[in-house]
Amino acid sequence: MKLTRREFSAGLAAGLAAPALMRGAWAQGATIKIGMCVPVTGPAAEQGLWAQNGAKLALAAVNKAGGVLGKQVELVIEDDQTTNPGIVLAFSKLAAQSDIVAFLGSIRSTQVQAMAPDVIKVGKPVMIGGTNPDLTHSGNPWLFRFRPNDNYSGRVIADYGVNTLGKKKWAIVHSTDAFGTAGGKALTEALTKLGAPPVLDQGYANQSQDFTPVVLAVKQSGADVLGTYFTFENDLGIFARQLRQLGVNIPWVGSPSVVAVSSTKLAGPALFGTYGVADFAEDSSDTAKAFGKAYRDAYKTAPDNQSAWPYDAITILSAAINKAGSTDPNKIRDAILATQKFAGAEGEYNFDKNGDGLHGYNVVKNDKGKIVYDKHIDFND
Amino acid sequence: MDLVLQLLFTGIGIGAVYALVALGFVLIFRATNVVNFAQGEFSMVAAYLMVVCVELGLPYWLSFVIALAGMALLGVIFNLGVYYPLRHRTYLPVIIATIGASILLSNSVLAIYGPQPQVLQGWFDTPGIQLGPVYLDSQYLLIIGVTILLVLFNFWFFEKTLLGKKLQATSQDKEMASLLGISVSTMIMITFIYSAVLGGLAGILVAPVLFVSIQMGSTIALKAFAATIIGGFGDVAGAIVGGLALGVIETFGAAYISVPYKDGFAFLVLIAFLVFRPQGIFGERVAEKA
Repeated sequence: MKLTRREFSAGLAAGLAAPALMRGAWAQGATIKIGMCVPVTGPAAEQGLWAQNGAKLALAAVNKAGGVLGKQVELVIEDDQTTNPGIVLAFSKLAAQSDIVAFLGSIRSTQVQAMAPDVIKVGKPVMIGGTNPDLTHSGNPWLFRFRPNDNYSGRVIADYGVNTLGKKKWAIVHSTDAFGTAGGKALTEALTKLGAPPVLDQGYANQSQDFTPVVLAVKQSGADVLGTYFTFENDLGIFARQLRQLGVNIPWVGSPSVVAVSSTKLAGPALFGTYGVADFAEDSSDTAKAFGKAYRDAYKTAPDNQSAWPYDAITILSAAINKAGSTDPNKIRDAILATQKFAGAEGEYNFDKNGDGLHGYNVVKNDKGKIVYDKHIDFND
Repeated sequence: MDLVLQLLFTGIGIGAVYALVALGFVLIFRATNVVNFAQGEFSMVAAYLMVVCVELGLPYWLSFVIALAGMALLGVIFNLGVYYPLRHRTYLPVIIATIGASILLSNSVLAIYGPQPQVLQGWFDTPGIQLGPVYLDSQYLLIIGVTILLVLFNFWFFEKTLLGKKLQATSQDKEMASLLGISVSTMIMITFIYSAVLGGLAGILVAPVLFVSIQMGSTIALKAFAATIIGGFGDVAGAIVGGLALGVIETFGAAYISVPYKDGFAFLVLIAFLVFRPQGIFGERVAEKA
C-alpha cells in the first residue's frame, strides 16, 4: 500500500487529535468545569501563581466534600499574559469549550473591562477581583465581585481617620492614574460627607523619582492626618522615606499599597505606625484564619488577597451551583446573588443586585514592620 | 527660603543622576554617531548585579567592584553583539538594535528576578544630615560628589592622556584616526566598556534612593536623553549642565506650578531647546559634525 502525503497528514492529525477528543468526550459527563483566566506569564506571573494556589485550595476542599451536583470539579487554566489582549484571547479560548459552566476573571480592573463585552456575549457567570466600582455598575449581569470595590476603600479610610483616630484636617496624596484619581475622589467625597473636607488634594504622576515638592506641600498644608492612594510600591517607598526625612510624622491611613508586603520591605521604618485598608487580613475572622492555615500548610508561604479572592470565588460558586441544582447560567446567577451572610476569607459576603459581594474593608496597622489587624468596617449600602 | 534651599538640593541631586546617565549617552554618541537606547538598562542591570552580590553576603565594596566588572563585560558583549555587526550600516539599524537590546535586557532581568522591586542599602549607615533647615540625604550627597569627580576625571582623561586623545580622534574622524595608526574598533570597544561602567555606576548610586526595579533604567534614561539634547548632543560638559538644569527645573516647576505635570516641565524645556537652540547649550561640536 502506498501512503500518499495527504493520507499521511490526515492520519497524523487524527492521531494527534484523538486523545484530546476522547478526553473531551469523557470529561463532558464526568466533571464540572470552571475556567480560570490568570497570569501565567507577564509582569504579574508570580501573583497569578498565588491566585491559582488559592483557587486550587478551595477546589480540593469542594471535591473532598463531594464536589458539585455529585461530580468532581475541574479547573481549566488559561494564561492571560497580564495584558488586556491576553485576557480577551484566554477568555475566548475558554468560552469555546461549551462544557465550562462558569469562569474566574482577573484581579485587574482594566483586564475585566477588556473582557466584559465578551462576557455579555457568552452569557455565563464570571467571578472577578477588579475593584473599579463601574465594573458591576454598567449593566453587565454576569460579573460577580469577590473583593470590596474602591468606593468602600475611600469610605473606610475616611471613617477610620475621622471616627477612630479623631483627625479632621486631611491631606490627600494620590496618583493621577485611573486608580489614584478615582480613589482620591472617593476619599474626598467621603470626608466631605463626614464634615472634614481635605485641606490638600495633591496628585502626582507615577514613577516620579522625587517627592520633595509633594512632601513640602503636605507639610505646609498644616494637615494632621494623611490619606493616600499610591499605585506603585516603589513610588510609595520613595515618598514615605522623604516624608520622614523632612520631618512629617502625622498619622497616615492609605489604600492597600501602604500595607502591601513589598512596600513594607522597600520603605522599612518609614512606614512604621501607618494604617492601611486591606481586603484580606488573616486575623480578621475565623474563616480567614482557617484559610491562612490551610494555605501555609499547602504552600509554605503567607496568603494575601491575590489568593484569598479566588479561594472565596470557587467556594461560593460551587455552593451556588449546588443550591441552583443545575448548571444553567441564569440559575447559577440567581443563586450567587442570593448568597447572604456567607463567611469567606475576605470577609462576610452579602451579594447585592449589582453582583458586589463585599461592602467593607479591614483596617490594618504596620506595627514595626509586622502587619496587624485592627478592625473591620462594613457598610450596609 | 528654607523651602528653596531644600528644593535646590533635591533638584541638584536628581539632576546629577540624569547627568551621570547622560554622560554614557554622549560618550557612545561621540564615538559611533548613534544613540544607545540601552544606556538606561545598563544602570538597571548593574543595580541588580549589586543586589545579587549583596544578597550572597559579599562585602559592599566587593559587590561594587564585581558589579562594575560585570558591566565592563556587558560593554564588550554589547559592542560585539549589537554594534560591531552593524558598524558599516547607517545609524538607523544600529539604533534599532540598541532598542532591541534594551528590551532583551529588561525582560531577561524580569525573567530571572521577577517583577518585585528590590532594596539596596546605601553606602553610608546614616541616612542623611540636617543642616539648619535643610535635610541632606547622604546618598544624594554621594551622587553629587561622584558627579563632580567624574567631570574632573573626564576632563583629565580626554584632554591629558594619550588614550583619551585617541578616543577623541576616533570620535571626530574615524578614517583619519585609522590612517594615523589608531585602532578604531579598539577605541570603540573601550568607549562601550566605559559607557557601560558609567551607566552601571549611575544605577548603583541611585538604587538606594529609587529602589531597584526593571523600569528604573528607562525612566531615568528618558530624562537623561532630554538632558543630553539640552546640553548639546555630543558634549560632555553639556550633558552635566543639561542634567543638573533639568533636575532643578522640574523640581521647582513641580513645587511652584504643578506636581502632576512635573515630567511635563522637563519636556517643555526640551521642546523649547529643539525649537530655539537645537544644537543645545554647548552645541558647536555638533554643528561641526553636521
